Amino acid sequence: MISRKPHIIGKPFPLIEAQRKLTGRSCYAGDEKPRSGQLYARILFSERPHARFQLHHVEAARSAPGVAALLTGQDLATRLGAQVEDRELLATAEVLYVGQPLAVVAAETPEAAEAALARIQVTYEDLPAVFDIEEALQGRVQVHPHWATYRGTDALQGDPRRNLAHTLRFRRGEPEDAMARAHVVVEHAYTTAPLHHAPLETHGAVAHRRGDQIVMWVHTQAPFLQRAVIARALKLPLNQVRLIGQCVGGSFGGKVHVSIEGLLAAIAREVDRPVRLHLTREEEFSATFITPAMRARIRMAADAQGRLVALQAVYDWNVGASVDLFLHQLESVLLAGTGPYVIPNVSIEVNAIYTHLPPAAPMRGLSLAHVHWAVEQHMDELAERVGMSPVDFRLWNLVKGGDKLFPHFVMHATGLESCAWETTKAIDWHPEAIPTGPNAMTGQGMALGWSPILIMPGCKNRVTIQCDGEDLCTVIVDGMDVGQGYYAFITQLIAFELNIPVEWISVLPTDTDAYEPEWQAVYQNLLWSTGRALLRATQELKRQVLSYVSEMWEEPVTNLDIVEGDIISYATRRRMSFRELLERGSGQGAPLVFRATGEYAASTDGGALDQRLQAFAATGYAAEVTVNMKTGHFVITQLAGAVDVGHALNPEGVRAQLKGGLVQGISTTVLEKMEFEDGRPISTDFMHYPIATTADLPRKLYPVVVEVPQSTGPYGARDVSNHVIIGAAAAIGNAIYRATGVRIRDLPITAQKVYDALQRAEKGQAP
Amino acid sequence: MKHAISFILNQEEIQLTVDSHRTLLDVLRDDLGLTGAKQGCDTGECGACSVLLNGVVVNACMVLAPEADGAEILTVEGLADEEELHPLQRSFIDHHGVQCGYCAPGMLIAAKALLNRTSRPHEEEIREALVGNLCRCGAYPDIIKSIQVASRARR
Repeated sequence: MISRKPHIIGKPFPLIEAQRKLTGRSCYAGDEKPRSGQLYARILFSERPHARFQLHHVEAARSAPGVAALLTGQDLATRLGAQVEDRELLATAEVLYVGQPLAVVAAETPEAAEAALARIQVTYEDLPAVFDIEEALQGRVQVHPHWATYRGTDALQGDPRRNLAHTLRFRRGEPEDAMARAHVVVEHAYTTAPLHHAPLETHGAVAHRRGDQIVMWVHTQAPFLQRAVIARALKLPLNQVRLIGQCVGGSFGGKVHVSIEGLLAAIAREVDRPVRLHLTREEEFSATFITPAMRARIRMAADAQGRLVALQAVYDWNVGASVDLFLHQLESVLLAGTGPYVIPNVSIEVNAIYTHLPPAAPMRGLSLAHVHWAVEQHMDELAERVGMSPVDFRLWNLVKGGDKLFPHFVMHATGLESCAWETTKAIDWHPEAIPTGPNAMTGQGMALGWSPILIMPGCKNRVTIQCDGEDLCTVIVDGMDVGQGYYAFITQLIAFELNIPVEWISVLPTDTDAYEPEWQAVYQNLLWSTGRALLRATQELKRQVLSYVSEMWEEPVTNLDIVEGDIISYATRRRMSFRELLERGSGQGAPLVFRATGEYAASTDGGALDQRLQAFAATGYAAEVTVNMKTGHFVITQLAGAVDVGHALNPEGVRAQLKGGLVQGISTTVLEKMEFEDGRPISTDFMHYPIATTADLPRKLYPVVVEVPQSTGPYGARDVSNHVIIGAAAAIGNAIYRATGVRIRDLPITAQKVYDALQRAEKGQAP
Repeated sequence: MKHAISFILNQEEIQLTVDSHRTLLDVLRDDLGLTGAKQGCDTGECGACSVLLNGVVVNACMVLAPEADGAEILTVEGLADEEELHPLQRSFIDHHGVQCGYCAPGMLIAAKALLNRTSRPHEEEIREALVGNLCRCGAYPDIIKSIQVASRARR
């Protein structure tokens, strides 16, 4: 009997690229064998947050033993940026943050490179620096006095005199009037600490100029974006920079944008030998990016029936010396800034503010986690004030399918409600605090959340599949696997669509030279865009194969199909192995090659923000904590997190992402904080920037998969990895409140803060 | 100062001369081309460079190469047989014990040491054995599960 194999979509699918990672075979940029004649690069970084500076003895450094090339901002004055060039590749006259590159050297050994840089003496003339957003907005010190001259700033709503990099606003109804008439109004400010991506693999890459092309083996999450930024900074045509993707040892957003890669390309251009650069752990923490701190000021109002009537919110982000990498986040914050609720009267303002801290880069859903940290604690407080349970109050006000949220966006069917039910059920929800020891109180909290799937302008992705006798099926993609299972997803879909064995399929390393120079792939929402490109490619490839066989067998193509790697005729029952067909060739000595490309480009006509909005991923969280009421020490005993993924194509993979997101959620809620002292990072190792270990796992962790299909996604699926973290902090904060009666409004939540709040409450002071 | 040292690495005898300041991690990765042990921090905080030294888990970045003289060393490259993956490796693939994978070699070595002393570890024991191995992807729950399943599959 001929039948289609029960399909592998929605079934467990292992991570195909895991084997080489688990056997120690070369994979990451740092694993590459030293190439013949290889040089080692090192960077000299600024030690002051704001200063005019001079480099002395540069010539002595340049002529130090073993030095092949050395560049300072005097040799190469150029700017960097994807949308806004608010960074210098090498500082020319002034430094704007500690860790800003001043010089880069390539030498025969790492030691020779170090020794050369040690010859350079830097003299600083310190200038007043500003680290606090409020102080920055007063404008006594300007971070970027020449801001208006930078490429890209004309598209921003900023004001350099107040260090305002960009402002976005949204308004609906009459929030001021509605507030004045409301039954309950709650107003608070919420803050978060700056964070670091802290990938286990530090930034590193190898570059080699071959003729007039600089070839780079890098572990970026976004090779096409990096190529464009590097080429523009070095004033090269795009095809003179080539990036070849390596395994990525953790990115979380930290390896999207150009950091050291631009310097490496610049120094590699000076020599005709391969150059290797790897940051130390200390440099990784102090000289790459930070994820910015937020301050949210929120007023929210409800009527006597518990309906939300108005929200006024201002979200301020301390983006350090560069906003460029954070612009897309500001848009997401604007769209998600109400939380997933229907509120008739709204004003939201999102501000990015420059200071003399390191450049900001987004980190895995955390900007939205911080938005919900504020909104979802606020929702709990309002619920209490109107006398409703946290669950009922949220469901009463929840966004539903069909709600017209923005002029061009009507909400689709969503699993928000299931996220609430499933997560609270998982932790065995009980709304009251329970004494669980002599000084211990146990409480539970919940939070919902949503995350816009916002297509970047010019979004496109492409997949090319080639089937031939030599390599069977090779796949060329323009996205990167960063551990989220992207290659597994591609393999799974091709195996399903072509109905061929998984073992035939190999995904090639992403290489910018596999495309025409102007190709610009995006790096976000890959499941969405690559998935659709992939379906087009498989359809075309299958058409080619079946038409070829149709001619050979002299049968109509409609009789034919590919089933489990065989080409079959439903009419004549003829059967032939697809693999044999490929290996046998065309019969005239020529190899038989089928090749098809599928492309997906989002329409971004009109350019309005809500026209680029494809969907909202829904999330829900429930947490349980036990707090020592004497010491403030607390333990997270249960944490459940749900994401509406539309359709879980690889359910175990989705759950793995969910669990990872929950662990990162715990880590960023209770442990992580980048500490600065006068602009100098002091959290420069894992001792001073602790991240979650196995000791920090709750006893019970529940990943919950909710599936309300997305009609426009491949097989109804939505992306998952970025959304899994969103409500963890808020749910934990709400649980702390339930257990103790005190509310922590500043992340991270520490025992000290809980203790202090308990002390204030005992003395009858405002919490 | 140079030292002539020898050790058994993944059941193979190795002899080489090293500078006294170099770490076992440097020598494994740069001189012997074994890049399974990863460089994550160079200060013994992250566990990405874990190897077994005479059966004990150590951070190779914290061991000077001359200290390894005469020792027996197992790195992740020595875990699989020629043909067949070690049950731990198999289990990590099947149960999503890998995300970005940078911590995986160290995790496997720490797990191997645990299974050498306890054939059927409880979850609590696994957590304790891995506390020196950081995973930024937060894959701990699946890593723990991978180890549990592998330990049950062992005869």
